[in-house]
Amino acid sequence: MSARNTSVRYGSVAQFLHWAIVALLVVQVPLGKIAHELPVGLERLVMMSRHKSVGITILALALVRLAWRWFDRPPPPPAMPRWQAAAARLNHWALYVLLFALPVTGWLMSSAANRPVSWFGFVQLPDFIAPDAGLKEVFEEVHEFLVNLLLVLVGLHVAAALKHQLIDRDGLLFRMLPGRRP
Amino acid sequence: MRPVALALVLALCPAAHADLRQADQSAGRLEFSATQAGATFTGAFTRFRVSLDFDPAHPASGRLDVTVDVASLDTQDPERDEILRGPDFFLADEHPQAVFHAGRFEPAGDGWRAPGDLTIRGVTRPVTVTFTLAPGAGISVMKGSASLNRLAFGLGQGEWASTEWVGDEVDVRFELRLQPAG
Repeated sequence: MSARNTSVRYGSVAQFLHWAIVALLVVQVPLGKIAHELPVGLERLVMMSRHKSVGITILALALVRLAWRWFDRPPPPPAMPRWQAAAARLNHWALYVLLFALPVTGWLMSSAANRPVSWFGFVQLPDFIAPDAGLKEVFEEVHEFLVNLLLVLVGLHVAAALKHQLIDRDGLLFRMLPGRRP
Repeated sequence: MRPVALALVLALCPAAHADLRQADQSAGRLEFSATQAGATFTGAFTRFRVSLDFDPAHPASGRLDVTVDVASLDTQDPERDEILRGPDFFLADEHPQAVFHAGRFEPAGDGWRAPGDLTIRGVTRPVTVTFTLAPGAGISVMKGSASLNRLAFGLGQGEWASTEWVGDEVDVRFELRLQPAG
């Protein structure tokens, strides 16, 4: 498999970035929800700090992914009705926006709560805003709204990919999978 | 003759001798930094009293007394403040005050060192405060710091006694505006 995208499938770099973020999100979203429900205490502190570290990892991968996408343009999509192509484009870009907006609102929420972010204990991230209880509430609301939006958009993304694969049988899913030739 | 001799002694007393009190509660700051989950955060105590009896010409005698209302602790995070005031940390209901007392001073670099005893949560341990004192016409500015290990005072019971997620070392910084005791 080529490192770079071909006309019919994503290259190994784009595929790795896609699936690495998927794997992290599978951990990250439940981790955040579980930590949020825990009573205030050490366990909550531990879970929340892991959630923050994973979130910063996702932010870094999203940055690399966006840069790589600019460097290595995605293969053109298979033939489909124009509204579907437009919806796919819109959904992809909304997902990209969320991959940045979710970690950034989480980061700002942490700064506003005076609970600065450390990436797995190795490096402490700067605080771009001063502690502010009111702002913390705002970012918390936005963060929660965005994660629910993410779940909806990921659901649409997966449903559309499966529809292409199983109903249209146009092999779209193979574009993002190693191994078998499309 | 006696009153004359006393007047003479008073007149010859070095002008630098200072018997100082905190000028204005709101003008001074008493802050601390600690780490949780690898990230350093800062908090403050908003109610404390400082009394300094210090003569640079006779540093071996004198005293520095600081009394802190531990319930005035503020880390700009109500959840954390509640835990810190509670039974696992300051136990503020039973030990409402933290007290520092030093009875002598030693020169240290540009400033002074005050080896003394700090009592928190009923536990007394030696702690050394280093400071500089900038005398002024009315107000003298006293700036300094100290470092302590929270676990030596029992700050962190049960699950909080581990240093894996909450660091042992706590740095204390202060900047005080002092004026002659009257």
